[in-house]
Formats: sequence, structure tokens, C-alpha cells
Amino acid sequence: MHKIAEVEVQNDILIANKKLAKRNQRILDRAGVFAIDFLGAVGSGKTTLIEKLIERMDYSIGVIAGDIISKFDAERVKRYNIPVVGLNTGKECHLDAHLVEHGLEDLPLDKIDLLFIENVGNLICPVDFDLGSHMRIVIISATEGDDTVQKHPLIFKEADLVIINKVDLANAVGADINKMVEDVSSINPHVKVIKTSLKNDEGIEDVIEAILEAM
Amino acid sequence: MHELSMADAIIKTVIDAAEKNNAIEVLEVTIEIGELTLLNPEQIKFILEVLSEDTILEGAKFDIEIIPAKIECSCGYEGGVASDDGLDHYNPIISCPSCGKGDFKIIDGRECNIKNIKIEKEE
Ligand SMILES: Nc1nc2c(ncn2[C@@H]2O[C@H](COP(=O)(O)OP(=O)(O)OP(=O)(O)O)[C@@H](O)[C@H]2O)c(=O)[nH]1
Ligand SMILES: [Mg+2]
Ligand SMILES: [Zn+2]
Ligand SMILES: [Zn+2]
Ligand SMILES: [Zn+2]
Ligand SMILES: [Zn+2]
Repeated sequence: MHKIAEVEVQNDILIANKKLAKRNQRILDRAGVFAIDFLGAVGSGKTTLIEKLIERMDYSIGVIAGDIISKFDAERVKRYNIPVVGLNTGKECHLDAHLVEHGLEDLPLDKIDLLFIENVGNLICPVDFDLGSHMRIVIISATEGDDTVQKHPLIFKEADLVIINKVDLANAVGADINKMVEDVSSINPHVKVIKTSLKNDEGIEDVIEAILEAM
Repeated sequence: MHELSMADAIIKTVIDAAEKNNAIEVLEVTIEIGELTLLNPEQIKFILEVLSEDTILEGAKFDIEIIPAKIECSCGYEGGVASDDGLDHYNPIISCPSCGKGDFKIIDGRECNIKNIKIEKEE
């Protein structure tokens, strides 16, 4: 005889990711590593910022670079002779806690104080996926248009620091930087917003200060 | 978009639950998706159907229930949000309907939960 039965499952995939993220954070804490997740649209300046921070911060730094198919960003960072893991997300548009766990396995965590995780360039998909980092930095740029904050509110809600980069190009593209700052503040009134031109080395010291404060 | 990997995780979870309960077939799957997740229910449903082929889920009916967003605002408001509904599901523009500001915590609306399944099993 066959019978029909209803079975409770109650298994939330996003909560499962959150649990893995918590586990990552415990691994990082045990090794004394402070981890930062860098999020932003394609080309907003994530890798450039990571490079400038490596050059200026006197800590032993490791990097996890998430990229859709390429290893370009990992290669760029490797020239600093620091531990770098390139995570290939394949078709995926975001890193998740499980992938990062594999990244952590490949890093000498006890030799690292500060871990930079570059997420896949995307303001949408990474929002739902905690990685276990201690700080989330969202970096957007003037060239994406000054309505980019309003279009992607959720990512700013989750941010611990927001950077508006490429202010040197604001006039050229007609972007109102102050509007972008105001939009961030209206979505997340407690978050610090820093304007930078990574090209002209402007604002980087403020970013370092904000990271040191959070550590 | 990550609907594919989410659907893949859903299928794996369902197969696991079905096997634990000695199912010979999965007839129905009920999934709750939060309004504020950046997941498109239509896409998820389509991919689930494709991925079900040649599994114990083949032909199963997927019910997707949308969990409305709920916030707790610094102004004291607790409840639903004003989103530009229907326009753009994965980018809800949200603000507190009471004070119009964004200083709130999200209570509900970020789920991707496999609630229950209906299975056929040997007596
Ligand atoms: N004009 C100007 N260009 C910048 C600035 N910051 C970065 N760039 C340039 O913008 C381009 C993209 O920078 P990346 O750091 O590679 O951006 P990314 O966010 O890592 O990009 P993906 O990893 O592809 O998502 C590079 O050519 C940088 O030199 C800036 O402040 N001003
Ligand atoms: Mg990059
Ligand atoms: Zn694995
Ligand atoms: Zn996606
Ligand atoms: Zn994704
Ligand atoms: Zn309010």
C-alpha cells in the first residue's frame, strides 16, 4: 500500500549559510584574524583599495579574491608577496560562507592579522550571504551614477563603512557626490561614509582610520 | 543570478528529507521566500522544475509562499514596509511607512525556507 504523508522540513537555506558564516567567524577569532568583506559594483575600486591598504597598513595581511571566472584580481595582489587565495565562483554572482571556508583552509591564518575578502563585483546578490567577516565595506563610485544608492538600498543597510570612490570623475560624469552621501545616510543613518579618489590617493587615510577603529 | 545555486540547495535538502522518510515520490514542496531576499520566485520555480527531472522530485508541485517584509523602526513603528511593489522584486526600495526614513531593523522578509513536503511512501 502507498500512503501520502506530509513532512515538516523547516530548513532555511539562507540560515544555513548564516550558520556557516558564524563558524567561519569562530575560526577567524580563534586565529586572531580580523576579516573585512569588500563589496561593490564591477569596477568600483575594490581591488585598488585592497592594494592601497596593503601598501599602507603595517599588519600581516591575507587576501581572498572572489572572481566569476578569472584569477586577475588574485594575480594583482600576489605581487605583494602575501598569502592570496583566488576563489573562482564559476557561474556564481557572489561568495558564500561555504566557499570562504575553503578559502580559509588554504591560508596560514595563524600568520595573518587582517584578512581582506574581495566579493564578486555586484551590488545585489552578495547581500543575502554573510561570509563571517567582522566588517563589511561597500565601495561604490561616481561613475556608476548618483542614483546607485537608491537603486540598491539593502546592501547599504548591511554596511559597516561606505566608500564613494572616483570623486575625481564626478564632474566628468555629472554625478552629485553629496546626494550619494545623503542617500546612504537616509538608508543607514549610523554608517560612516568616506569619499575617496583612489587614483589620487585621497581619503585612504580616513579609510584606514575607520578600519583601525573597528578592529 | 544565484537562483540556480539556491534551487540546487533546495533540491538537495528536499531529497535528503524525502529519503529519511522513505519516500518513493515527492508530490509537493512548499517554500517560503522573503520579500526582501534578492531572489526571484518565478526564476526559482522554473529552475526547480528543471532540476527535478530524473530525481525523486520529478513532477512535484512547487508552492512558493512570499513572506512579507516586516520592520522595527527607530520611530516606534513595527509592521510592513512601503515597497514599490510589483516593479522590481529583487530591488525593493524600502522606507518606513510611518516616518519615511530608513533607520529600521528587518525582522521578516529574508527567508528562503523549505517549509514542508508532501510525499508518497510505502505503507
Ligand atoms: N579615475 C579613477 N579611477 C579609479 C579610481 N579607483 C579605481 N580606479 C580605476 O578603476 C578601474 C577598476 O578598478 P578595480 O580596483 O579593478 O575595481 P574592482 O572593483 O576591483 O573591479 P572588479 O573586481 O572587476 O569588480 C581600474 O582601472 C582602476 O585604476 C579612482 O578613484 N579614480
Ligand atoms: Mg577586483
Ligand atoms: Zn566544499
Ligand atoms: Zn545573482
Ligand atoms: Zn549570487
Ligand atoms: Zn519609522
